[in-house]
Amino acid sequence: MSENGQNGTSTIEIEGRTLAFEAGETVLEVAQRNGIEIPTLCHDPRLDPAGACRTCLVEIDGWRRLAPACATKANAGMKIASENARIDRHRRSLLALYMTDHPSDRETSERGAPDQLLDMVEQYDAPSDWGWLETLRSDRPDDANPYIHFNPDTCIVCARCTRYCDEVEGVSAITLAGRGSQTTISTVDRLGLLDTTCEMCGGCIDVCPTGAMGEKTPLMRGDKPERELTKVRSTCNFCGVGCQLDLNVDPDGNDGKGRVVKVTSPPTGTTTNDGNLCVKGRFAYDFINHEERLTTPLIRNAAGEFEAASWDEALRVAAQGLMGVRDRHGADALAFVSSSRCTMEENYLVQKLSRAVFRTNNVHQCAAT
Amino acid sequence: MTNSIGEIRDADFLFVIGSNTSEAHPIIAMEMKRAVRDGATMVVADPRAIWMTTIADKHLQIAPGSDVWLLNAMAHVIIEEGLVDETFIAEQTENFDAVRESVAKYTPEEAEKITGVPADDIRWTARKYATTKKAGIYYTLGITEHSHGTDNVYALANLVLMTGHLGKPSAGMNPLRGQNNVQGANDAGASPIFYPGYQRVDDPAAQAKYEAAWGVELSPEPGMNLNEMMKVVGKQLFGLFVMGEDIVLSEPNCMELEKALNKNEFLVLQDAFLNETARFANVVFPAGVFAEKEGVFTNSERRVQRVRKAVEPPGLARADWEILVDLANACGADWTYASAAEVYDELARHAPNFVGISHERIDTQVVDGPTGLQWPCPTPDHPGTKFLHEAGVLRGKGLFQPVEYRPSMELPDEDYGLLLSTGRTLYHYNCATQTRREPGLATKQPEAFVEIHPRDAKKRGVRDGDLVELSTRRGSVHARAIVSRQVRPGCIWTPLHFAEARANVLTNDAGDPVTGTAEYKVCAAEVKVVEATTDGATRFPGSYYGVGGPGPDGAQPVDAGARAE
Amino acid sequence: MSNEKNERAASVTEKLREAGGLLDERSRDVARATGVPEATVYGVGSFYHLLARPHAKVRVCTGLSCQLAGADDVLAAARKAGLPVEGVSCLAGCDVPPAVLRERRVLPSVTVADVERAGGDWTKLESAAAPGDTEWRGAIGPERDDPDTLVLNLFGAPRPLGGAFARARELGPDGIVAALETAGLQGRGGAGFPAHIKWNGVLSQAETTRYVVLNADEGEPGTFKDREVMLRRPDLVLEGLAIAAQAIGARDVYLYLRGEFEIPWGIVERMIADAAKSGVYGDIHFHLHAGHGAYICGEETALLEALEGKRGMPRLKPPFPVEVGLWGKPTLIHNVETIACVPSIIEKGGEWFRALGRDEAGTKLYCVSGHVQRPGTYELPLGVTLDELVEAAGGYVGTPKAFSPGGASSGFLPMSMRDTPLDFKSLGKVGSMLGSSGVVVLNDTVDIREAVLHQMRFFHDESCGQCAPCRIGTRYLKESVEKDMREGAGSAGALANVAEAAWQMNEGSICGLGQAAPLPLTTSLEHFPEEFGA
Repeated sequence: MSENGQNGTSTIEIEGRTLAFEAGETVLEVAQRNGIEIPTLCHDPRLDPAGACRTCLVEIDGWRRLAPACATKANAGMKIASENARIDRHRRSLLALYMTDHPSDRETSERGAPDQLLDMVEQYDAPSDWGWLETLRSDRPDDANPYIHFNPDTCIVCARCTRYCDEVEGVSAITLAGRGSQTTISTVDRLGLLDTTCEMCGGCIDVCPTGAMGEKTPLMRGDKPERELTKVRSTCNFCGVGCQLDLNVDPDGNDGKGRVVKVTSPPTGTTTNDGNLCVKGRFAYDFINHEERLTTPLIRNAAGEFEAASWDEALRVAAQGLMGVRDRHGADALAFVSSSRCTMEENYLVQKLSRAVFRTNNVHQCAAT
Repeated sequence: MTNSIGEIRDADFLFVIGSNTSEAHPIIAMEMKRAVRDGATMVVADPRAIWMTTIADKHLQIAPGSDVWLLNAMAHVIIEEGLVDETFIAEQTENFDAVRESVAKYTPEEAEKITGVPADDIRWTARKYATTKKAGIYYTLGITEHSHGTDNVYALANLVLMTGHLGKPSAGMNPLRGQNNVQGANDAGASPIFYPGYQRVDDPAAQAKYEAAWGVELSPEPGMNLNEMMKVVGKQLFGLFVMGEDIVLSEPNCMELEKALNKNEFLVLQDAFLNETARFANVVFPAGVFAEKEGVFTNSERRVQRVRKAVEPPGLARADWEILVDLANACGADWTYASAAEVYDELARHAPNFVGISHERIDTQVVDGPTGLQWPCPTPDHPGTKFLHEAGVLRGKGLFQPVEYRPSMELPDEDYGLLLSTGRTLYHYNCATQTRREPGLATKQPEAFVEIHPRDAKKRGVRDGDLVELSTRRGSVHARAIVSRQVRPGCIWTPLHFAEARANVLTNDAGDPVTGTAEYKVCAAEVKVVEATTDGATRFPGSYYGVGGPGPDGAQPVDAGARAE
Repeated sequence: MSNEKNERAASVTEKLREAGGLLDERSRDVARATGVPEATVYGVGSFYHLLARPHAKVRVCTGLSCQLAGADDVLAAARKAGLPVEGVSCLAGCDVPPAVLRERRVLPSVTVADVERAGGDWTKLESAAAPGDTEWRGAIGPERDDPDTLVLNLFGAPRPLGGAFARARELGPDGIVAALETAGLQGRGGAGFPAHIKWNGVLSQAETTRYVVLNADEGEPGTFKDREVMLRRPDLVLEGLAIAAQAIGARDVYLYLRGEFEIPWGIVERMIADAAKSGVYGDIHFHLHAGHGAYICGEETALLEALEGKRGMPRLKPPFPVEVGLWGKPTLIHNVETIACVPSIIEKGGEWFRALGRDEAGTKLYCVSGHVQRPGTYELPLGVTLDELVEAAGGYVGTPKAFSPGGASSGFLPMSMRDTPLDFKSLGKVGSMLGSSGVVVLNDTVDIREAVLHQMRFFHDESCGQCAPCRIGTRYLKESVEKDMREGAGSAGALANVAEAAWQMNEGSICGLGQAAPLPLTTSLEHFPEEFGA
């Protein structure tokens, strides 16, 4: 088998399969592209490889040591094993060590997001009876920020959050701090996030594989864990980037009307926002459930005050009012202000209402940009 | 945008002008950060030392309103040094000579006097922009919210056309849309001059097409744009239908508007919350929010994406589109849409750019890459369009438009000695009807503030954290002073989000003659202390630097005489 | 990235030190001065214990040799006297135990009486063995009639700079590398990697901005030879570095000295000033960079991170520093002893050097401490036996029971292995290593399990925390031994999984620390099983 295939592409071998790769691709990327499963915890395609969690180690012919698939560049002719007795022993003993430093029941570890470490322990049938070491990672006790919660017990120090904060968000508000088994996630002087350069994008929550970085409000409120929520993919309603997001719905909430209890980002690589969200997109959803929401049509009465009304009545009064102006002053005495916040369909209907029903082109929306 | 968001990360040169990207478009900013991390050069032109300047190779701290001088001077350098793309100009554009002539007098040295940007920096930027292949321009309201906003856009377009930075990946001209569906609302025809898909209402063919489609006679007279509307309320306009907008809070010079609304005869408001405009409404319809309805939003890169219903609206509230159908029928129409998808299908049927798009296709089509479809998408098997003008400039030939500098309508004078700009912050959104109901965002930025340079603050005895009165010829508001080198000497800046300090009490409603967009970015203002702070600095938490930080101190006040010429 | 930006980032640790360590608000000050994000500054500061715990002014070495010499008593006395004191990992003063650090200065052979004399004022603490600001030195040997049989000759006086450098210039890069290859010079920092391959590696890079880095972050418990070389023969160090810089075309040489080396720092600094004054090395610039308390920075890629002003966490290899080193440029890194061998090799030839060793080439500086008569640094042929070494050091104290041949990382061997040549290959074969050749001898008064726990605590304290096998494994092993001491169930109880955990640490850890950390436990379980489970 030639190392260099047609069209100048090169190949490597993983588990006996000959696979083409592009220059710069890692072993992990080639494997994933071809459906070969290699476990990872600290890997995220948006970040430079760290090789720190050690779950993705593979065996490469001629290399004495196991190599992290995430950080090892494919090289023509490499022969790679991703499944054998040595790797299996490695995965099981590594996970066993992890579990001496991690809660083993989902009740404790999965109050918020799913815990991928526990999934992996189940998948590889790793021992979780090596004993238990109480965590030495410290928390930031006085962090009053309303959104982001850090639970040192479930942190595996993979540094995805700190690397995201540095490499993607670019604010470096959080950092690895301390050393050895005391290594934890901290801020400058252990301050609350509100007192730092943090912009509350919540990317740290998104990238955390174990839910150590979690969303505070649902945790405090005691919402159902993420696994029990229904995800509805939608488009963010703030700026013009059009980030895709998943509305996490508790179908039993709001007396069966459903309640959005959190927003998560779709997997990286699948949408324009590449798995990223900003503070508004990720956290500013409580307006949906806000008590000041309008729940009934209102009509201003003779005394000048609003009165609740039925839909039929409100529609009738509105139609009469608008038609009255048209009849008195002509169609061009009416104007229709549509909204760039509403859907395309709704904007279409407003202009059609203006043009086809009232025969005026006085229709616009609040944005010339 | 002529390009896609996903192309930003591959750009080699980013010219960001009038866009506080990391605050207004954080996700786009992430892509820019990624490009810079991968070695791209970035130049930020902005009167303020916004966050993006901390990673930029150069910050052109331009005097507000002097953009045409900067851009024309860049064009001047590109032409003078022979860096234009002759082939592109010859094959794909017209009227270049007019621009060549008009920019001749815009030398970098003269530009320095007006813009405050060193001539060498203008030269460097011009050269770098012209000679880098993947060079993209990114702009927002800092370009358009001027009485000469259209001129600014033309001046940018001239740069793009003369360097041929168009129709290629990661190069082009990219306005970043401020609101989730600005693009879609325009595309859908919520415009006084366009039917859906930019078909003009005064084009007889378009008129005939829609008359046939809708079975009614239609008016060929273009309507009023929003800015025009707001000036004739109570004079020519006596009935308003307002959906999802708070015109009282967001229109410039709202004091005038409030008076006018008292003369208006009938106002229907459709919204999820009672807003300021509700004070003038006769009927209010309770509307659902995005999580409670089906439909599509179209983003800055022309990508049509789905909005899906996740929960039921509260009480009797209903989706806007359902209310609109009932209202039309109450007004005598006979609309029978059973779903938002049906509405979309009707829209797409008559607008060629959207024919290939449907809810069903977006929902079911599994594509490699981001979801949704980018228009133009003329047929159901068309893959959508990643970047525009690949096969040549859309309108045939790219038209150069010479533009001359016109000063902003109102500049600082003896009575109002400071230049006020307004803008957005990361933590709030527009009128903040949604974001201020969010406890965390409110903690991060609880109240209105105004940024002022230490030099100007000292002159007025203003200290960081003082409560100040910020006034213009139109009105005044109270705000917390942030003394910061983030702004230029002589300039102040305030966000537009806070109802109790509505920036539009202050701003000038002089509009751009073409678009009607108001001059939110430049007016004359003055600041005085109302209540001195007692606890010293109450700097906003997490501002990335305060007094004494790395902010630039070198920017010189602009020569007012030179500007008024 | 601009050089200025790099330099500013690299200055983070030094600026934190100047600011008094990681006190509140200091990170923000340093962030403002350097442009490095404030949290990053904090994260860096918290990594280095001399910065992270600024309130401690006195630190008593808790290394094995110092422990055997009564470090616990000294620590207790200091606490009683109310000194701002804490224990600390090895201070590279095992030959002068117990060693105590006062701010950044190591005081030799500190006694309880010394502590009491300070009277509660830490600034007055001094050692009677080296009063005042004495630039003390350790014991060395053996002196030879014919210095030509010694490579480093610690007895010799420093010589004028430039002799070997001039000869090297004549040889040219190829000639120099050829001489190293003939000499068979192996890296003396621990790995024993052939030096000429590194030099060739840098020379073969297309990138022409290259650096030379000196690893003087000597911290392996039992090791203090580099300290002694810098104290006695700084000329050889500088000359070796200059030859390296010239050979690979580097203009900048970075010397990373551990923060506790205040005295060697002063000596090397003076030597650099002399060189600069005489202009003997042309436009080669020497930059001194202080460590701030982190054993891991002796790992070459962790050291590069530290030089760049970051947390000293080892990088993934490949790529190796010869390809991607300091600030991403090809970098030649050598240990002090290795680089100090270079001038003699250039002057006297590779054949001469090679012939000085037994199975492996050259002489070797062996450190010996613990239960021997005269702890110190001894230059002997590479490959001597333990008995030969201890003979040079005046003989054993008591009845020897076990020895560590190369620092804590080499584990504990029984006296039945006393004839194993102390060289890289022979010790590797018996599941140990020569490492940094810091030999520690334990006699039959020592509880091996206690000694093991000692080393386990050391690795736990010094693990960088980056990768899970080491971060969790060092703690797991330490706590398992502690548990065995409490419960005494041996492999049926607390130690049931330590073998598997050790296997994982060796297989899964990123760097040598985690890979070698289990050795004290695993070698002891193998050779002294009777000491556990009771």
